[in-house]
Amino acid sequence: MAAEAGDASACRQLVEAFLPAIAGIARAYDRGGGVERTELIQEGVAGLLFAVRRYDACLGTPFWAYASFWVRKAMQELVAELTRPVALSDRAVRSLAQIRAARRDHQQAHGGEPTIEELGRATGLTPSQVESLLAIEQTPRGIEEPLRGDDEATGTLADTIADPIAEHEYDDVLSGIEVEEVRVLADRLDDRERTVLSAHYGLGQSAQTLTQIGAALGLTAERARQIESTALAKLRAGLAEPALQPLESRGS
Amino acid sequence: MSDALRHNAYVYDSTEEYIERSVAFLREGLGAGDGAVVANTRPGLAAMREALGIDAARVTFVDVSAAYTRPARTLASYHAVYVNELRSVGSLRAVADVQLGPEPGEWDEWVGYEAVFNRAFEHLPAWVMCSYDANRLPDRMLEGVWQTHTEVLTDDRLTDSDRFESPAELLRGITGSPEPLPGLRSIPVGRTLESFREELARALVAEGVPEAKALDMLLAGTEIADNAVRYGGGVEDVRVGRDRGRFVCEVVDRGSGFDDPTAGYLPPRGGIAKGLWVARQLTWRIEFFHSSRGYTARTWL
Repeated sequence: MAAEAGDASACRQLVEAFLPAIAGIARAYDRGGGVERTELIQEGVAGLLFAVRRYDACLGTPFWAYASFWVRKAMQELVAELTRPVALSDRAVRSLAQIRAARRDHQQAHGGEPTIEELGRATGLTPSQVESLLAIEQTPRGIEEPLRGDDEATGTLADTIADPIAEHEYDDVLSGIEVEEVRVLADRLDDRERTVLSAHYGLGQSAQTLTQIGAALGLTAERARQIESTALAKLRAGLAEPALQPLESRGS
Repeated sequence: MSDALRHNAYVYDSTEEYIERSVAFLREGLGAGDGAVVANTRPGLAAMREALGIDAARVTFVDVSAAYTRPARTLASYHAVYVNELRSVGSLRAVADVQLGPEPGEWDEWVGYEAVFNRAFEHLPAWVMCSYDANRLPDRMLEGVWQTHTEVLTDDRLTDSDRFESPAELLRGITGSPEPLPGLRSIPVGRTLESFREELARALVAEGVPEAKALDMLLAGTEIADNAVRYGGGVEDVRVGRDRGRFVCEVVDRGSGFDDPTAGYLPPRGGIAKGLWVARQLTWRIEFFHSSRGYTARTWL
């Protein structure tokens, strides 16, 4: 698929083709206020493009069946972020992950919901900490609040969130929050720089010597070393002078 | 306005009070030609935008709902915003609404962040007014207001704080002694930074650290090891492992160490002090301490 390979024109066509379906999903999240429909659709498109990069046609899953999960997930994250009553620190995110894991373990072992005290014992947090953390998980929208399509009820928010994969993937979001900054950082490297760094240090593959890496790229070992050195310097410079984040908007 | 930082605060009881104080503060600055920044979550930004009316067009609104993750990242985010603003104006005023999670264990760290702010931004011609919501923030944070701001706005006037502490002094007070981590294991030190990275990379892969996070640790570890070589007489020992789920790397050097709890929190200026700033940006926490092995930098990923 051309879009998989990053072909901009193919990506545009793909987005146009799936825009009605993305808008349909956005309608389901568009009922409680607080998040604008255009923002939901933008996030949905980002989810679609993310799915394109990860989709493996060889597995036989229809593309939309796969991509719709990422579209929903992107919208879920936006809704959670924009309707969450307080910002979550790194430590809070990690503690929440511990609580979720403890809850899952308890359910598997005992078949029922753990008490606050049991969660506290399992995680090393005090009961009041557990309560506070669980409280901030609750967004203003009720999990069983009915969602409505154009003309009729279409289930509950829980139905939308709780597909079997989503339960698992939502847990993964926790570590995703932490690696987000790095993913942006690594994006500053070009393909060859990423290849050299990953191959040399065995990130996602077996580690190789610079001689082996150079040979694979048709370069000398010294040239591979220079590429690595440039990549490290580029990452360092990016962090030492942080890029201005698009957090800002002037006026309305 | 002077060309040095003014870092003040006020505590408010209602949205109306927040709006009234913040708008008056910013309008005074706008009248004097200062730039203006409002940092808050989206509801607060919307309320301020409406209250500022036509003046909103001259104000930069910053959504900080995701900015309060770790003090080092928060400092970097605000620094980038203010430096960017100061590219177009000679001085600025900002109202920054303090955001916090519910965990008591982290409140001291955020009081420490407010203290470090005084040092980290001291070179900027900015008047930053931190706003604290009395109904939402814990008592510890509200007490910290007087420890971390030289002046606090009360009853429409700035009151000198007699409880203000120097950032270094305050940080020392809230930083406990790091506990021993006997579960860590030594790995070969390596003769060069490159071989140090190779050994560290093996350990990261063996511990199952995800690729992107491993790259973080490699970059941070390089900075720490480079510091040890440049200023600490060389690397004596490197210990790695996991503790409470996090990957930990200790670099022990041969030097006498340093005593500056703000190290790595001050944005690099003129190419100086980049290394520890970079390392703090990439990792969860870095502790510096003397141990029986030598002066130790312990990095938590």
